[in-house]
Amino acid sequence: MNTKMLVEENNQKRKLLNKENLAYYENMLVYIRLSYSKSDIATEEVLAEMLDHLLEAQEDGKTANDVFGDNPKAYAQEIAGALPNRIPRSFLSYFLMGTLFFMGASTIFNSLFNIILYYGFNKGDAEVNVFLGSFTVKTVLFLPIAFLLVYVIIQYLRWSAFKGINKILEFFIFWLYGLLSVALFLLVIYLLPPFGAAVNLPHWEVLIIGILLGLSGWFVLKKTQ
Amino acid sequence: MIIISRSTVYGYELSMKLQDYGLTVSEGSIYPVLLRMQKDDLIKGNMQPSPNGPNRKYYHLTDKGVEALDLFKTHWEGIKHPVDRLLQDEGDRT
Repeated sequence: MNTKMLVEENNQKRKLLNKENLAYYENMLVYIRLSYSKSDIATEEVLAEMLDHLLEAQEDGKTANDVFGDNPKAYAQEIAGALPNRIPRSFLSYFLMGTLFFMGASTIFNSLFNIILYYGFNKGDAEVNVFLGSFTVKTVLFLPIAFLLVYVIIQYLRWSAFKGINKILEFFIFWLYGLLSVALFLLVIYLLPPFGAAVNLPHWEVLIIGILLGLSGWFVLKKTQ
Repeated sequence: MIIISRSTVYGYELSMKLQDYGLTVSEGSIYPVLLRMQKDDLIKGNMQPSPNGPNRKYYHLTDKGVEALDLFKTHWEGIKHPVDRLLQDEGDRT
């Protein structure tokens, strides 16, 4: 059984829970899965055990409260604390994957935007000037910002897992957060003066580079699983 | 661990057996313990298809687990009799 199969099985089996047990279980699931420093397979295995247990208990007329106690957060923390850590190698490959995906996605969007602008609206140039100096600094600055932004989201989701926050409010929070993230990146772009040797690249070449970056990220992901 | 040493069990089965012996621990509390014992290499779990369908994680003791259980039994015997006698003394006095 690999992680992917366990996740799929969990999705199917979860449908058998009643509404009350499902809500209780899913909060724990979110919290435990977001303990990202823990081994994936061990995480999914214990989640499967807990789900199976809950399903059997449900048939015997027991509730999630009876099985896991009335403090789901404390219980989820205990489980997460007892899980074995991810091996450092897989941690590194997730980091590499994140970096490649982030760079790939930003490159693809950037070049697509320029292509549409140039060929669709006759604005801008057919090529982009890349200043090697400022490009390097930007990449070095963007990566920790991107990881920080993702880290904050994970921490928020863990924090909110047992709070039952209003969905509309939550949407608004994420919308604002997305806006702020974009603003942060734009700020860096506009504040950083171009310097270093300039290289001219046609947009489609940039697009290909972006796709290659994304593909290597995907390759790392496949190899990790 | 004694229950696991007798035959391989899965989580729900284990919690039911513990209850049969009068150990009224909350059912969910076995999972953190099972995880910790796996970390310490005392037990091992294998995902296997169960007789009636779903895949279940069945636990068995490792060699290290068997040793630890023997050690526990020795310690327990060492404590049990003195404590029983102490309690008996207490009972005689009142």
